[in-house]
Amino acid sequence: MAANSLLASLRRELFASRGDALLSAGLLALIAAAAIGLLRWAFGQAQWVVIQANTTLFAVGRYPLDQQWRLWLLVALLALATGLSWGLLRANPRGDRSGVLWPANDRIAVAVLAFLTAWAPAALRLALPLQLRWWGITALLLALRWAAGRWGRRHPPQLLRWVPLIWPLLYLLGMVLISGGLGLIRVPPSEWGGLLLTVLMASFAILASFPLGVLMALGRRSELPLLRWGSVLYIEFIRGAPLITLLFLGQNILGFLLPGGLAPDRVWRAAWVLTFFCGAYVAEAVRAGLASVPGGQQEAARSLGLSVPQSLQHVVLPQALRIALPATVGQFISLLQDTTLLSLIGLLELLGTARTVMANPDFLGKNAEVYLTLAVLFWCCCAALGLGSRALERRLDPSHSPA
Amino acid sequence: MPASQPMIEARGVEKWYPNGFHALRGVDLSVSKGEVVVIMGPSGSGKSTFIRTFNALEEFQAGSISVDGIALSNDLRNIDAIRCETGMVFQQFNLFPHLTVLQNLCLAPVLVRKRRRAEVEGQAMGLLERVGIAEQAGKYPGQLSGGQQQRVAIARSLCMEPRILLFDEPTSALDPEMVGEVLEVMKALAADGMTMVVVTHEMGFAREVAHRVVLMSEGRIVEEAPPEIFFTNPQHERSRQFLAQIL
Repeated sequence: MAANSLLASLRRELFASRGDALLSAGLLALIAAAAIGLLRWAFGQAQWVVIQANTTLFAVGRYPLDQQWRLWLLVALLALATGLSWGLLRANPRGDRSGVLWPANDRIAVAVLAFLTAWAPAALRLALPLQLRWWGITALLLALRWAAGRWGRRHPPQLLRWVPLIWPLLYLLGMVLISGGLGLIRVPPSEWGGLLLTVLMASFAILASFPLGVLMALGRRSELPLLRWGSVLYIEFIRGAPLITLLFLGQNILGFLLPGGLAPDRVWRAAWVLTFFCGAYVAEAVRAGLASVPGGQQEAARSLGLSVPQSLQHVVLPQALRIALPATVGQFISLLQDTTLLSLIGLLELLGTARTVMANPDFLGKNAEVYLTLAVLFWCCCAALGLGSRALERRLDPSHSPA
Repeated sequence: MPASQPMIEARGVEKWYPNGFHALRGVDLSVSKGEVVVIMGPSGSGKSTFIRTFNALEEFQAGSISVDGIALSNDLRNIDAIRCETGMVFQQFNLFPHLTVLQNLCLAPVLVRKRRRAEVEGQAMGLLERVGIAEQAGKYPGQLSGGQQQRVAIARSLCMEPRILLFDEPTSALDPEMVGEVLEVMKALAADGMTMVVVTHEMGFAREVAHRVVLMSEGRIVEEAPPEIFFTNPQHERSRQFLAQIL
């Protein structure tokens, strides 16, 4: 029955008329040819040993071996925080209104996660202890997801308002774990690399450029000429220059420009350049959001006695940021991809690491394997950002449509 | 009848827009406590601009305005004080779409008057009851009809316990069948002795509720009279023209 209706709908969608049928058949043939070619290459000719032999390098670069337990600890903490937040989110439905503890999406996510945990470490030929660690981490995440979902149901939402605070705290803790200090041995940024460096650069720039962009957008609409012209100058200068020139420029001048200690080495200088770069684009996205909030909103807030900062914080910005969210996340996604430019200033993030691996005489000519892996990794990160953004959008949507 | 204590005192108010348009040309108006004043006039006559000067949504360049004894000046503290005493209801409702009806009502009392949320919510539910939409408290403005939204907007103003309510064409954006429910709420407020200044074209409301009708034209007040005189025996040619147009 179901198969019949599926066939029927396929026929309706793809083979409605003679022209449609021709077009569909041609396209299907093309797709099939490409897929067969790719699969034959991936499982026949490709020599994945170039990835399998360099997993550590791709993951963390030249991070000292005897200190890598700190990164494992961080991953475990991240899994805990993710499980906790995920479970509580489902236990306290707000925007999505479903109120189901295990919606279909979550079950799919759990299945994907379980499959990846079972398959990826094995496919990468990780040592058995490392495979076990990944299984443990996934189990931790899922256990906490389950426990938090049940626990959250039985506690008042007010208590749970503080839970999001664990993320900034975890970020600070993560920075300490990665770079050292507070009794841990220092690991200088020059020894960070691979996915670790990519994620660090992107997350730092994303987190720092968002408030910067909001401030610049507000500055651009300010009535104070100095603030307004300063913001305009900043935004237009950054948007008028290619990122790669700014990266080179930053390596040369940020040492003088930023107050002492903020940009001590090339990694941090690059991080600040990414931040300033992304901030200018976020500012434009937020400005569009601000412009789309009707002037009557501000008037109504002011006529009720709210001060300018109060009406911004409670009335204008919540609406503007929701509208600016898709464009802003689009910027974050390009920023994540732009981190590959860091390889050109000599940083060993994912692409830089890949280039050193490909330059190794043992792995000459294995470019396709390496680049495909990189593309898949980046696609996963960007897809995650996009999914998160859409979920947030749904959650913030105050069901505008008349019910 | 209203007592004689002036709630709004405007003297010789002049306003130029930045493009040079002379919107208000020496307008005088005095509104007593408990009085309902309806301002009428053709579009572009300056009536909306005029009532928007009362809570400093519009600046004016000459003359003086005092609201409930507080002089409107550039002193921000005075402006904030006046805005707490005057509620305003807009043509386009201007409800906050990202907040529920109840949150719309509670925002300003909690932030500005620093009152406890639980206490404000009790009062807000009472006000929603009074305007007849208590059952919608948890909905978002986008889920309500225009008439319901405007009643929420009135309740939102009342939640700040203002001493004066300003209405800027409150029924002009409504479908005809929803005008009545909003006017009913306004009539009830007037009956309770609220001081109200209403810009509107609703003749029935003016006739029934207003203590005084003011006709503005080209930035000036042309005629000022009780409704029974204004609608039956206007003294000025301009008033007769205007009434002929809208009747």
